[in-house]
Amino acid sequence: MDKDNAMYAAYSALHFSDFPWLSLLLVILPVGAALTLVVPESKARLMALTTHLLVLAVTVIIAVNFDADLSGFQMVEKNPWISSLNIHYFIGIDGLSVLFLPAAALLFMMVTLSSWNNIQTLRRSYFSLILILEFAILGVFSALDTILFLFFWETTLIPLYFLLSLWGVGANRRYAGMKYVLFMMTGGLPIAFAFVLLAIQPDGSYVFDYTQLVQVADDNPYQSIIFFLLLFGFGIKTPLFPMHTWLPVLAQEGHPGTIATLVGIKLGAYGLLRFTVPMAPDAAHTYQWLLIGLGITGVVYGAVAALSQTNIRRMLAFSSLSHVGMVVLGIATFSIQGIQGAVFQLLNLTMVAGGLFLLSGFLLQCIGSTDIISLGGVAKTMPLLTSFFFFLGLANMGVPGTSTFPAEFLIIISALNSYTGVGLAALFGVILGAAYFLGIFRKAFLGECRNDIIADAVDLKPRELFIAFVMSALVLIVGLYPQLILGVIEKSSMDWLGVITR
Amino acid sequence: MLDTTESLPLLKVILGLIPLLPLLAALWIAIGFIFSWNRGESGEKQTSAVALGAISLSFLLILALDVFALVKGLPSATISLGEWLSSGEYHINISFIMDYKSLVMATLVGFITLIVTKFSVNYLHREAGFQRFFMMLSVFNAAMFLMTLSGNAILTFIGWELAGVSSYLLIAYSWHRDVATTNATRAFVTNRIGDAGFILAIAFSFFWLGTVDWIEMGSMITSKIHIGIILFGFMIAAFAKSAQFPFSAWITRALEGPTPSSAVFYGSLMVHAGVYLLIRTESLLIQAPALMVFIILTGLVTIVYAYIVGLVQTDVKSSFMFSTLAQVGLMMVWIGLGWFELALGHIVAHAVWRAYQFLHAPSFMQQVTSPAAPVPQWLNQKTWLYTAALQRFWLDGIADWMLTKPTRALANEVQVFDEQVVDRITGIPSNTTMLNTLSHWEAQQQGKFTVSSDVGKGRGIFGKSLELFAGSLQVLEERFILKGSGEGLMKAVNFLGNYLVRIDKLLTQPRYVLVLIMATFVVVL
Repeated sequence: MDKDNAMYAAYSALHFSDFPWLSLLLVILPVGAALTLVVPESKARLMALTTHLLVLAVTVIIAVNFDADLSGFQMVEKNPWISSLNIHYFIGIDGLSVLFLPAAALLFMMVTLSSWNNIQTLRRSYFSLILILEFAILGVFSALDTILFLFFWETTLIPLYFLLSLWGVGANRRYAGMKYVLFMMTGGLPIAFAFVLLAIQPDGSYVFDYTQLVQVADDNPYQSIIFFLLLFGFGIKTPLFPMHTWLPVLAQEGHPGTIATLVGIKLGAYGLLRFTVPMAPDAAHTYQWLLIGLGITGVVYGAVAALSQTNIRRMLAFSSLSHVGMVVLGIATFSIQGIQGAVFQLLNLTMVAGGLFLLSGFLLQCIGSTDIISLGGVAKTMPLLTSFFFFLGLANMGVPGTSTFPAEFLIIISALNSYTGVGLAALFGVILGAAYFLGIFRKAFLGECRNDIIADAVDLKPRELFIAFVMSALVLIVGLYPQLILGVIEKSSMDWLGVITR
Repeated sequence: MLDTTESLPLLKVILGLIPLLPLLAALWIAIGFIFSWNRGESGEKQTSAVALGAISLSFLLILALDVFALVKGLPSATISLGEWLSSGEYHINISFIMDYKSLVMATLVGFITLIVTKFSVNYLHREAGFQRFFMMLSVFNAAMFLMTLSGNAILTFIGWELAGVSSYLLIAYSWHRDVATTNATRAFVTNRIGDAGFILAIAFSFFWLGTVDWIEMGSMITSKIHIGIILFGFMIAAFAKSAQFPFSAWITRALEGPTPSSAVFYGSLMVHAGVYLLIRTESLLIQAPALMVFIILTGLVTIVYAYIVGLVQTDVKSSFMFSTLAQVGLMMVWIGLGWFELALGHIVAHAVWRAYQFLHAPSFMQQVTSPAAPVPQWLNQKTWLYTAALQRFWLDGIADWMLTKPTRALANEVQVFDEQVVDRITGIPSNTTMLNTLSHWEAQQQGKFTVSSDVGKGRGIFGKSLELFAGSLQVLEERFILKGSGEGLMKAVNFLGNYLVRIDKLLTQPRYVLVLIMATFVVVL
């Protein structure tokens, strides 16, 4: 029991911060959003970009100041919020979450840059809503109070609803936006119930403090219920196999920039890692087969479905399903390689899936379609876009030299170690990964140029080139030296494992 | 023997630079292309100078290593430059191996890639993809150096894969031709199957041997079964890369690339990568005689296959290709017999000769004076064998029928399943009736098109059940409020009120809080 306590203490140790960096983030963003709304329409995007740059700078400062050798949460701030219910404004980051902050900040800046001049209506609202979304997402990654987490979690829906239904590119965007929000509300309810169930203590008091909840989690008699509630709630957002149908629809209907944030920052998978397993450790062990099954189903199902897609964005949506399946598989192995690989892969997807969606957005803007029937021979007039799409595609396939290789490799190795058959199936998914991407790449980008629009298309403009270049450079650098990322994740991953394995 | 415990900073720098230089050259060319300072004909000189400079330097460094090894002897362990990746008990170093195998192979690689790069400068002059070609060639050079010199299986795999990617790009060099791009995709995906074998082998080496260091792997003791499984993975990878039967089909498709690239890839270097991999695993292979027999058989089948098919080829490159396959099959036989040195020697001799032949291929027709020998009599008389040879034993067709078609069919079924079953259950619209286009609007004005409101209509399981629930509430409301005309309502309210008081009492107990939460949850869903 003493050993257990040591493990809990390691995972949930608190290192308070001298300067409220995280709060600074959470203040800059709404202020920036408000300012973006009031400045003249022509200045709105500049205002938004300035805010994004500031946020990026702060997140980089946070990441640099983060001490990877310390256990537990750092930069912690804790103040009472609703005292009668013991709810706190309680934020902090550990090795599992710290890198998501700069990654998300960078992606959001790129999304803003990518929509620099393709937003025709309500520009101020658009750029402001993007900032609000970023606020909510950074909040999700840093919240340590379950109610605060839930607040940020549900807050993501408001900007997303408007972003999807007002600036979507598909004809059914409003319906898609509404359905997305309804889906996510359905997912939010079980999470809320689970948090309430967790909060009620035997002595009648309430606890919403994540670090305390982790310590008492395995005494909770309702673990199975909590596990399924949280699995369902986060599974919808992840998305896990039968609940994934919103993703391909949104990929077609939504603005590519908005979708890039959705597929690039996989909050659902983060929720599974942060809450579902540690909040119900015994149940997670009992139902490990279910987690593994959901993961591997996602890997294979997504890859197979991606094979028969005729639209690049739909293909990317299914590819995203396949990748997130791999992440869930990594989490479900409950091994250090699996966890490190899963977190690493989630970070990679911010650049890879996000970058691919932004690139397909440029293609859409230039040619008016991402259907392979109206593409073909794009390489002729858009060599740069084609090259970057191919490079990020290599990362999508997990080719060595790109950052996804070490991550996928760790996950597959841990899967093979614990469940050889599952590992083999994951390898099958990897082979299919090459088949579906190269297949659609060949039809869309290579071959004869059959279309006047493509023949007159202009290649990436400097602003778009900057986006593609930064994303690809990061993928390459991290791919050549993965220890850069893995080193930060390592300590917290081990503590996480210490908490859930006894 | 050289003691590796003494620090060898210079040696480390040299080893690191050998693969790094061509990689940097590739990056330089790529960045130059992005920021358009080396595009077009004017950039050719700079591009080729960078590529050629990098590979020349690498070659010189390898020669320096050779001299060093001759003077000071070979180090007894791998030389590590630092940690590349670590996770739990797995540590992967950037390590290099210096033994006679890797030095011979690296010297060969350096020599041939240098010649081919030099040759390409003139051969590709004024080609649209000049810069692209030299970038890919540089990546390939780096990959081959990494593959031959790396001290552990992971680093070898990285080189192995990078070589695969550059081969994809080189086969698809003329990307506007469908044949080229189809072949490239095909070659890459076939190689990917081999790569899966490689990953399996690496993973099992970790579990059972506890290391992926080439030198340490040989000295670990584990059961025969385990060694057999590990080797089987490496073997599949080697067979796929070296195009042994039944993976032979992709290599002829790979001839789509420009001649210098076919020379390095298929004629002289990459086709030997599989053989080299098996030579690398020598210390494990000698513990698994059954697999060695299997390798001999595969080699023999490939020889026979390549010989018969080669007889009926009518173009220069294809004939070379099949004779290459036969030679590589022969190397497999040497390996199966345990003659690893002979296999290595065979690689060197064959690679040099074949590189010359492939580079020579475009002008070959001008230099031959007599027509090619006709198909021998015995093959001519066996029509079935002749046909089979012409069709290259239908290897492509069989692979299509066994792998590609079922996968495609499955993909289509999954697509249908996703749309017809999963979408319907979870209730995402595939289509809705809305005014999407102007013609819809016109049609609506003329009364030909109606827009049905979706409000109050559910889709999917959740939607339908919610609709049902809303419907029953509607009935309830009608009964009590509209038809109940006061009295019935009052009764019901009183009745309910008593119950509510009781429920309220119960609710103060924690267990019912839980039940209520669950009940609400069920209803809401």
